[in-house]
Parts: sequence; structure tokens; C-alpha cells
Amino acid sequence: MGLLDLLKGKYVDPTYPGVHAGGDIITTTVDAVVKWGRRSSIWPMPFGTACCAIEFMALTASHYDLARFGAEVLRFSPRQADLMFVAGTIVDKEAPVLKTIYDQMPDPKWVISMGVCASSGGFYRSYHVMQGIDEIIPVDVYVPGCPPSPEALVAAVMKIQERIKNGEQAKSPQGAHRLGISGEGAIDRRQRRAAWQQDDAARAAEGLPPRGVLALRVLPTETDDHHHG
Amino acid sequence: MASATQEPPAASGVEAPAARVLRAELGPQLRSVADFRGDLAITVERDAWVRAASLLRDHPQLDFKLFLDLCGVDQLDDDTDEGLRDRYEVVLHLYSVTHKHHVRLKTTAPEAAPDVPTLTGVYKGANWFEREAWDLYGIRFTGHPKLERLLTHDAFVGHPMRKDYPVGQRHVLKSPKVQLMDVPADSEHLLVNIGPSHPAMHGTFRVQALMDGETIAACEAEIGYMHRNFEKMAEVRTYWQIIPYTDRLNYCSSFMNGHGWALAVEKLLGIQAPPRAEAVRVILSEFSRIMDHIIAIGTNVVDLGAITPFFVMFRAREDIYELLDACCGARLTVSYVRIGGLAQDVPEDFEARCRRVMKSVQEVVDQADGLLTRNPIFTSRFKDVGAMGKDEALSWGWVGPCLRGSGVAYDVRKDHPYSGYEQYDFDVPVGTVGDCYDRYLVRMEEMRQSLRIIDQALRKLPSGPVIVDDKKVALPPKSEVYSNIEALMNHFKLVYDGILPPPGEVYGYTEGANGELGYYIVSRGAKHPWRVKVRPPCFNIYQAFPSMITGALLADAVAIIGGLNVIAGELDR
Repeated sequence: MGLLDLLKGKYVDPTYPGVHAGGDIITTTVDAVVKWGRRSSIWPMPFGTACCAIEFMALTASHYDLARFGAEVLRFSPRQADLMFVAGTIVDKEAPVLKTIYDQMPDPKWVISMGVCASSGGFYRSYHVMQGIDEIIPVDVYVPGCPPSPEALVAAVMKIQERIKNGEQAKSPQGAHRLGISGEGAIDRRQRRAAWQQDDAARAAEGLPPRGVLALRVLPTETDDHHHG
Repeated sequence: MASATQEPPAASGVEAPAARVLRAELGPQLRSVADFRGDLAITVERDAWVRAASLLRDHPQLDFKLFLDLCGVDQLDDDTDEGLRDRYEVVLHLYSVTHKHHVRLKTTAPEAAPDVPTLTGVYKGANWFEREAWDLYGIRFTGHPKLERLLTHDAFVGHPMRKDYPVGQRHVLKSPKVQLMDVPADSEHLLVNIGPSHPAMHGTFRVQALMDGETIAACEAEIGYMHRNFEKMAEVRTYWQIIPYTDRLNYCSSFMNGHGWALAVEKLLGIQAPPRAEAVRVILSEFSRIMDHIIAIGTNVVDLGAITPFFVMFRAREDIYELLDACCGARLTVSYVRIGGLAQDVPEDFEARCRRVMKSVQEVVDQADGLLTRNPIFTSRFKDVGAMGKDEALSWGWVGPCLRGSGVAYDVRKDHPYSGYEQYDFDVPVGTVGDCYDRYLVRMEEMRQSLRIIDQALRKLPSGPVIVDDKKVALPPKSEVYSNIEALMNHFKLVYDGILPPPGEVYGYTEGANGELGYYIVSRGAKHPWRVKVRPPCFNIYQAFPSMITGALLADAVAIIGGLNVIAGELDR
């Protein structure tokens, strides 16, 4: 099946921007074709450090077969990759290495944080473990699990494809404000609540909603009955 | 210092040979001899430290040639002056392959001047262990050739395993150490950095090599890129909360780590799991060994450019994952063992499932054998590459398939059977040359022997409970927790207070996929262990790597590291 057939046949996503098929001629935008090409041939770079890397191997091996999603060309050079799988715990000693590798990837690039260690430090709340890679690099998709099942990773790759299609890409480290914070063994709920209140107040001063709260539209209430409103 | 170890009367008739010899040679410098749960522990004065270690190594009756482990312990006790005087302990574990006995040698150092003479002159393997003890405890080893931080990074402040260091106190590292070794200004050699992000370095190892053409003239290795503080975390967790952490030590064969941990704690508690639990542990451990060897061989040949054997062999791994999944609901990090048994019984069709997996393992082993063993490209990359002699291997502290590849038939399963390994008939393969090819052959044969063990264990799989009937160790069944108050209270007490072992210290060891996996546990009778030291098999093995590749071709270094099967989680903990 050629590209033309694919674009004008039933596989064309009717909501896809700029594709107008008729006869043997297709008019579209370069942008649309590039995005289509990009999402269909992702070149991942596995930054595997720990247990998750073993499960990543299972993803690429014959049973789960990442090739079905056009993403089987694993590149161990960041210069040739556009998707980074951070698979495994990143410790403080490894952090500058991860940052360098990320910086070496050409734009546009996407990052999957595989497993809880990469996403939040996991159950290693200790003196040498980074409490989430988003302290230093932007993350597009977080995959929970310890390690995540290969099915979850397939879903993550599909999410990345969706993001490529929509032209979305994480630009800055979401957790930069947490860089170097103590990974205390137990969470002190009072301390956390105080920190949240401080953060909310700081954002409110800038006219921003609290972090993590979606901007919901408040519908006007029709009655004044507060008990049932 | 809380310790229940009892000192036997001096020069009693039944004293172990190590204690007898040291008592005769050292006289008053031998401080005490203890025996707890069959572990011989000898404490000597600091001045006699090196002499005692040399005696243990060289005395013909003792012959402790295999260096197992060296670690620090912080015996901080704020209440007594004694706690500060003898605050730091250095603990050495040794083994004799000829006489088949272990010994633990200890000495202490005061808080004010934690200096202990180095053992690098006695055992080659002591080098990195002493650096680790300096890094984590701040114990200064006088005379050490390069006493620098090993696991933590350069911007780190303090010694994190000290009891007064907060668990979570982090330090940010901005830029990594660029150069690991000094290069003479007029040198024409090329400095090449391999790793930590390099496909052949499996994620987290870093080697810097000074290249003379294709030959490595000198090299230096750096580890710690995966130091995620298992040992510190273990000090703030209860004994069973540590089980999931052990899964992530050698994550290629998670089950075996948990098995070893459970056995070590059971040794400390003085209990034994029921026969059915032990048999299932053996079966799953052997499957895990196969799984680990598949990864070792598969990724090793991928590094050499052959991807087909990897795809072929991974099929069997996937089948073993399914078996584990059926038993406990997890594929890789299983957390299936409990102290005193297993989390739950195996599924009803366990035997049929195992037989199916065995068939598929047999198939892929035969296929890989056909693809590799006589393949001329493969053999020319492997034969006579990275040869390691017998005595040198022992001095480095090598164990497992690597040591057996070098011709020493030491296998914990044979020499110190646990979990009923004495009932099974199996052979221990050994190599003759000690090169990469021998290590490969040993692993291939071990997979076949594992199948033999599984077959025998399945034939006489006993029935009965899978966890001990001890309310202080095992959780009551859920059905009872919800229906009677006594079980509910037991459950509550056990979850809140944890398992409370007696004070004392044990060294529990099993044959992991990479060799002797030991856990040295110091208990003060509380719900958290006072100190847990993992004796990781590949720490000793990888330590020898820089000296192995010096003078070799760069391409050979890639072949060697894969064959050593170094696992970062276990190496750096």
C-alpha cells in the first residue's frame, strides 16, 4: 500500500488537518505529512538503567513487538533519536548524564518516563535518588508501575503518537522547583499541606489557579438553595 | 552495643580451628570469639587486623582464600561512652573452598579517629569494599592506594550510612567527573569514555580507557550510577517490607534475591519454612536462574552484533514470566516469598504449567546451542578472551558461574545445601581455561542442570501449608482476619510491630544466578534491622574488570563485560 492510497483511502482520518483527496491528486500541508511520518516512524532511544530496562527488552522482543507501532528502530545514539525512554531509577550521580543525553537529542523530541522511579523516585526516598526525572528534563508521558507492564508501554507509545499528531511537546522540566529536595522516608502530611498552601498563595498572588486544578467553568446556580444547589 | 552473642570460655575443647589458631597466634590481641546460629565471629584489636587476615588466608588449616565481603557498621549508641569508643566496626567475611567453612573477622574503630589499616595487600578484592566503607561510613583505611568516594557522587557531603545522617538528605550534582585518570601531557594515547550511557555498558557502568590504537593501555572504572540506597532503606523498613527491595537487586532473577533474604531472616529467627514452600522456592529459583542466564547470554551476543539468539531465547523468558504471573501476579519483580514461606500457594495447574515452560526452555537452549556453540565467528570472539586464573579469581572474590568457569567447583547449592537442595541430583559444571567461552559453556550447562532439578522437585512436590504456623512471623489468613478478633489482633500487631527477631548477627547466603548472594544482618531486637549488608556477587566480579581489559582490544572488553553479567542494581545497590 503506497502513501497515496493510505492518505486518500479509508485510513485517512477525516479530522486530520489539510488533507483533501480526489482522484490521484492530494493537496495537503507539509506540516501534516511530516507529522504523519514522524508518528509512524518513531526512533526511540532507551535510557535504561534498572529493572524497567529489562521489561523494556520484553517490549521490543518478539512477544510484544514494538515494531507494530513503527517504533522498532532503537538508537543508542541520542543524535539519531526523537523519543527517549527513561527506564529505571535515576540517581543524583546519573542526573547530569541524563541531562546531557537529553540535550543532545535533536528537536522535536519526546520523553517517556517509564516506571515510578523515573517518575517520582518510587519507593527509594533516600539520599542519592532523584525524586523524579522531571526535576531536570521535561516529560511527555509518565507510565506508572514497578515496572510497568509492556501493555502500559504500548499505550504510552500510542499517547506519544497522539501528541505528535497534535503537535504537543513538553518544553520545560515540570518539577524543576523540586530539584534536590529531600526524599524523606515518610511523608509528613502537615508539612506537605503547609507547602501546598504556600504554593497556592503564591500562585493566587500572580492570579493563577492552584497547581493541578483544571480551569473548570462554574455554572451559575439557578436557585439560592445552598443545601441542594 | 547490644549483642546476644555469647563468648565461649577461652580455649575450650570444641573451639573452631580459626579461633584456635588466632588465639594461639595473637594472644591478648584477640578480643572475643562468638558463635551465633552457627556463624563464627572473631573480634580482634585494630593493631592485629592485617595480621589476623593474613593468618586466616595463609594458615594451612584455615586456608580462607575466598574473599567474600568487607563492610562497615555504625554501632552508634548515644547512651554510653563505649558506644562512641567503639562506634565503627569493620566486618570481613571469608570462606575456605578447601575446608568449606566461613569466618567473620571484626575490628572496631573509635568515633574520634576512625582509622583501620588496609587489607588491600592481603586480598585484591578489598580495594573497592574499603572505598565503599570510606564513602558510606567515613572509615579511613590507612595505606589504601586510592581512598576516594565510590558510590556517591563528588558533590556529596557527609557519609550517608552513618546513623546520624538523615535518610533523605540529598545533594545536587551539576556536572559529572570528566576525567577518571591522569593523562600525561605529552601522551599520544587517546582517552575514550565508555558509558555510563553506552549500549555495551548495560546502562550504568562507566569505564575510561586510554587507547593505544585498538589496545587499551590503561583504564579506570567508575560505579555508583545506580546507587539507590538499598542498605539505608533497609534500616527504616521492617523485615518483610524489605522483600520488594530485594527484588530490585538483581532484577534479572528477582525471585532468588527474595529467597536468599527470607532464608537469612529465617536463620536469624531460627525457623524453617514448610517443605512445600521450600520445594516451590527451589523450582522458581531454578527457573529464575535460567531466566538470568538467558539475559546474560542473550545480551552478551547482542553486544557482539548477533540479535537472533536474543530473540530466540527471550521466548522462554516470556514463558517463565507467565508462570510467575500465575503464581503471584507479577512478571518481573515478584515479591512472592515471605519470611517463613510463600505469600500464597501455587495455582492448581502448577505442575502442568512448569512442564510446559520446561519444554520451551529446553527448545530454546537447544536452538541457542545450535546457533552459537560451534559458530566460528562467535568462538573466535570468545575463546581465549578475558581469561582469569583460579587463585586470582579467589583473591578478587569471584563466585558463581564466573568462578566455576575458572575451574573452582564452588556452588553453595552443593557445598552448603539449603531449601532441600541435598535431595536433588545435579552436576556442577566447571571450566578449564577461565575465558569468556568457558563462562558461556558453564551458563549453558547450568540451564540444563536447572531443568533436572526442577524435574526432580516437581516429581516429589510435597503437599501441605506454604508458610509457617507462627503468629509472630506469618500473617493469619484473610478469611480469619475478617471473622475472628484474635486473628485480627495478630494481623494488627504484626503489621504495626513487625517481626521481632532476637538481637544478634547472621550471614545468610545462597547461590544466586551470579554466585554467592549473601545478606549480613545485624539485629538489635527491633522491628527494623540495625544494619543489612548485601554481599553482591557482581561487585567482586566487576572489580576485576579494569585489570582484565588492560592490554586487551577494545572490542574484547565488550565481549568480556557481557559475559561477567554485571547487574547494576546489585552492583551499586
